Amino acid sequence: MDFFCKYLLLSWLIPIGITAQEYDLIIKNGTVIDPGNNVHKQADVAVSAGVIRLITEDIPADQGKVVVDASDLLVTPGLIDIHTHVFVGETESTFASGFSSVSPDDFTFKAGITTVVDAGTSGWRSFPKFKAQVIDRSQTRVLAFLNITGAGMIGAPEEEALADMDVQATVNMIREHPEIIVGTKIGHFRGNQWDPLERAIEAGTQAGVPMILECHLPELPLKDLLSRMRPGDIFTHTYGAVNDRTWLLDENNRIRPEVIEARQEGIYFDVGHGGGSFHYQLASPALQQGFYPDSFGTDLHRFSMNAGMKDMLNVMSKFLNLGMPLNMIIERATWRPARMILREDLGNLAQGSVADIAVLRVLEGDFGFVDSGGYRMSGDKKLTAELTVRAGKIVWDQNGLAAKNFK
Amino acid sequence: MRTLLFTLLSLALLNLARAQDIDLLLKGGHLIDPKNEINSRMDLAIKDGKIHQVAADIPADQSQRIIDVTGLYITPGLIDMHAHVFNGTDNDSYIANAPGSLAPDGFTFRSGVTTVVDAGSSGWRTFRQFKHQTIDHAQTRVLAFISIVGSGMYGRLEAQNVNDMDATLAAFMISNYPDDIVGVKAHHYRGSDFIPEERAVEAGKIAQVPVMVDFGEHDPMRSIKKLFLETLRPGDIFTHTYSYTTNRETVVDGDGTVKPFIFEAQDRGIIFDVGHGGGSFIWHQAVPSIEQGFLPDVISTDLHYWSMNDGLKDMTNLLSKFLCLGMALEDIISRATWKPAQVIQRTELGHLSAGAEADVAVFSVQQGNFGFIDSRNRKKTGNQKVVTELTIKGGRVMWDLNGIAAPAWDTEPLKY
Repeated sequence: MDFFCKYLLLSWLIPIGITAQEYDLIIKNGTVIDPGNNVHKQADVAVSAGVIRLITEDIPADQGKVVVDASDLLVTPGLIDIHTHVFVGETESTFASGFSSVSPDDFTFKAGITTVVDAGTSGWRSFPKFKAQVIDRSQTRVLAFLNITGAGMIGAPEEEALADMDVQATVNMIREHPEIIVGTKIGHFRGNQWDPLERAIEAGTQAGVPMILECHLPELPLKDLLSRMRPGDIFTHTYGAVNDRTWLLDENNRIRPEVIEARQEGIYFDVGHGGGSFHYQLASPALQQGFYPDSFGTDLHRFSMNAGMKDMLNVMSKFLNLGMPLNMIIERATWRPARMILREDLGNLAQGSVADIAVLRVLEGDFGFVDSGGYRMSGDKKLTAELTVRAGKIVWDQNGLAAKNFK
Repeated sequence: MRTLLFTLLSLALLNLARAQDIDLLLKGGHLIDPKNEINSRMDLAIKDGKIHQVAADIPADQSQRIIDVTGLYITPGLIDMHAHVFNGTDNDSYIANAPGSLAPDGFTFRSGVTTVVDAGSSGWRTFRQFKHQTIDHAQTRVLAFISIVGSGMYGRLEAQNVNDMDATLAAFMISNYPDDIVGVKAHHYRGSDFIPEERAVEAGKIAQVPVMVDFGEHDPMRSIKKLFLETLRPGDIFTHTYSYTTNRETVVDGDGTVKPFIFEAQDRGIIFDVGHGGGSFIWHQAVPSIEQGFLPDVISTDLHYWSMNDGLKDMTNLLSKFLCLGMALEDIISRATWKPAQVIQRTELGHLSAGAEADVAVFSVQQGNFGFIDSRNRKKTGNQKVVTELTIKGGRVMWDLNGIAAPAWDTEPLKY
């Protein structure tokens, strides 16, 4: 009798279960900000089989296997950090396969990030090792700019050897891994020749990808660097009061005309905060003049992770407190970087796209944010990640939004 | 007259010297230092990387640098007695020289930790690689239990190899690295005997260090009572205390009662360690334990790749869980500072006595609605959360969440 009852009950429950729980995950009642699709409204998001299935008002909770209440929270595409160094390995004091890089999963999900782009830590010769050692085994989606130096960031003097800057080999490697390699990079060069930059651009042109320019090129004037870049190329360390490059602002704290011109030409400006490349002295006047960043690359590495940078949400919070509108911040942490790396499949919540989602909270309180000079700015708002979803799977749940109660 | 002027001048200079005596002063905080039985409003002065003075009111003009920590808690830098930090690139390995272990500095300072103890990721044969690869390059103080298995925690297969469990060689390696190695670990054994535990104890006796046991996987299940009352010595450590799996006997029985011999074992001196990890902290075990007065001796994370983004997250989240369980903050801090220092016989650590290394953490306790998940994704809600504001190691600021140690950019002169 008991068995019979259970059987009857089960036979009723199972078909109901299948029809009722159509979705693996429903995120309810959040404010959905999806700039790529011009969405900014209160809505529910349904996910199954790792993709976005539906965004609409009021999806019944009983249709989800897991239901998250995101009232008072923002639901955005998973964030994209366009400037990181994650080719971690065992070599002392190098970025390429070394201790100076960090493991992506250690830092991404807790900050709402689902995609990082490594900024040229590997070059065409070391990329296969980077792929096997880090990319293939990370839960974070790891994409890469390829350093024009074949060995990648192995430090001076080898990193600056012109003989190792091979356009054809770089192009070949990009073509071999079009799903991972999104561009080229030139970072460190102390000579006065233009060959490294020209080769990075030439490889980018041949492969049809952008180039990211780091500023450690002390002998090459800013104006000439910018004038040689192509529309769609990326300039990073934008707000750094650094000693190896002309600053963004002139002596009167005005944005330099060549910088404004470069932006008009279509060159992108990334934050690239890092350990030494973000200063309020530049960022504050620049934002007052309307010069907002196109992306919030953190320049995450061993020397920025515990300094003023901390993580991407901390960097975004700095701009929020500097007066940048929240909508614009979300756009430049999701859809715009996706476009910058020519990956419009990412950074948005279109139906059918991969379910990379961040659920963010804007905390109110008394906060402080430190720049690369060690100076503090006070603020009353701070972004934190409540929930991060990567390909439909919950990979971070700060307060157990998706968990059942104990007892 | 000139002599008088000279004297006055020297006195003034002397005063000036005295005024600059302290490098860094934490002012206005509530200081918890369990070893010295302090739990009150105190200032803390640091000089030459050491604790200089703890006193109720140290004048601000005696210090070169002052940090206002009003409303915050000052504690010794935390000791995380169970972590896995032998980070490397061997993809075949579980946690020895593998991505499964984490580079320590990315997790420690942001959660108030200044010392981690690696729990047996390296073995007596692989410790030197761990030392060169991780310990010598970390800013965090990294100490280690070495595995009784020569290959360390390479994999479940290797953990069954009793021929690689050598008490003499483990003790020999410990004696070669007394500054780094604090004990021996036995782990992940599936046999029906107690060989790993016995050999670890043998090594521990020779080297005069404690043993930590991860007693998770015997088949059939082995008696923890026998382990506590016969195999282990007082001072030896049982980790993953609040675990609930099919192949390890639990501390709480099916009726929700703490087994009586658990108290007996704790009285005998067995050290119960939390070792939260990815699968070893279950509310159904922890809640009745705390309610019935069975408190852990040491609160540790078992930090690794599979726990860092899971219910554990980090040390401060774990401390918050124990606040949520109703323990007093001072009792929690004591189990993450002075107690583990004693357990690993490193009594120079885990306190704020004058002369000690200036490893200091500063916390806020946030009020709000928080949730904490266990290893089975069950949530317990709480209204308090510990947040690391500042971490100092050897007198140096390693983490400053809100810039409380930083000058304001818009009101103070910029020196870029």
